[in-house]
Amino acid sequence: MSRAVWTGLAIAGAVLVETALGYLVPAPGRYLDPFLLVAIYCSLVGGEMHGMLAGGAAGWVQDTLFGGRVLGLSALSKLLVGFAAGLAGGRFMIASAAARALVILLATTADALLVQWLASVFSLEVTVLPPLAFASRATLNALVGGLLFAVVDRRRERALP
Amino acid sequence: MAHAIPARRSRFLLVGLVLAHLAAISHQVDGGGGLSLLQRGVLEAFAPLQRAMGWVVAGASELWRGWAFHRETYEENRRLEARVRQLETDLQGRTARAEEADRLRELLSLRHAVPMETVAALVVGRDGVPWFRSLTIDKGEADGVMLDAPVMSPTGVVGRVFAIGPHAARVQVLLDRDGGAGVLVERTRVPGVVSGQVASGTSGAEDLVLKYVPEHSDVAVGDVVVTSGLDRIYPKGLVVGRVRFVGKGSGLVRDIRVEPSARFDRLEEVLVVRLARLPLDTPRSVE
Repeated sequence: MSRAVWTGLAIAGAVLVETALGYLVPAPGRYLDPFLLVAIYCSLVGGEMHGMLAGGAAGWVQDTLFGGRVLGLSALSKLLVGFAAGLAGGRFMIASAAARALVILLATTADALLVQWLASVFSLEVTVLPPLAFASRATLNALVGGLLFAVVDRRRERALP
Repeated sequence: MAHAIPARRSRFLLVGLVLAHLAAISHQVDGGGGLSLLQRGVLEAFAPLQRAMGWVVAGASELWRGWAFHRETYEENRRLEARVRQLETDLQGRTARAEEADRLRELLSLRHAVPMETVAALVVGRDGVPWFRSLTIDKGEADGVMLDAPVMSPTGVVGRVFAIGPHAARVQVLLDRDGGAGVLVERTRVPGVVSGQVASGTSGAEDLVLKYVPEHSDVAVGDVVVTSGLDRIYPKGLVVGRVRFVGKGSGLVRDIRVEPSARFDRLEEVLVVRLARLPLDTPRSVE
């Protein structure tokens, strides 16, 4: 199956996860960002181009289904984050779970800062995350993403002939 | 011949003979209790062994019976567990149906209370990012829902429609920082505007901020806040929440926080007003 189809399926999976979290744990569910995880994974596996496109697509879907009045904030931030993560993935050895978790931690922080900065640039009122919520979000994404990436990698390795 | 018998063998023979003799004698001597001394000795010697054997056999048979009983109990337990699961599932289904009926009853009573044409909608999605507060509902243009249509729940105002599709719409919840509604303090009729929380996660509570209320206005903790209708989006008189905190604000206005009465995180059904904009004379009827 082509890379685009896999990315599309991963984004669809992120929609399902986000919807389920909204029902089950609405408040903490906001802190896990499966769309960002999709973008970062694509960046690390497929490089900056794939990461950028996946991030942009995932961000648009997130903006449309879960975002606010103005579309594109998450899309732009994830596009940038996806590109940066892909670039980093090409220059450094980011293969271990810890290294990937660190990348997710930094990417989540960058994504949040970008969204808040873009909102201020466009004079949009958004909820400003306090430092603790900021850190919790980054840590949660890093932990879940690190685990998830390891599982996906293992499955991919097994699927290889 | 006697010399041919080695000394070692002879000692064994001696011991054997002595024992045989002792046995013969003891067999004849009354040991009390109707038993000969031999019998008594044998009894005394073997009784603990027999007792031990008895324990073993009794234990084994008990174990066997226990196991058999356990098997039966286990089977019965499994049957009962399955039954309990089934009953719990039934109960959950019935409870869910009862709760749904309650919610729909509340929604229906709200529908009668609101003198406008409304459409009931299910909440099918909630905000997935911390920056905004929004909902997705399963009714859209095809159902008569229009942009900016107010959305209500039996407990209070929810928000307004900000994006619309043929069969779904997105609702900006009052808690969104970019949202707002014209309100009145019901007791004193002090007007103001509520909008989303200042920051989430600081106190765990997500309050609305009541803005533009002058410093000397009569507002107290516990006061009910209702829509004023002045924004021409929300019908007049709908409950928004209760004043939770009144403080000294900066400048000429007070710092007032309102606890919203709508349970945003638990909303399942809402009512959407079909009219996008209220007529201009509606707010003017506010006294």
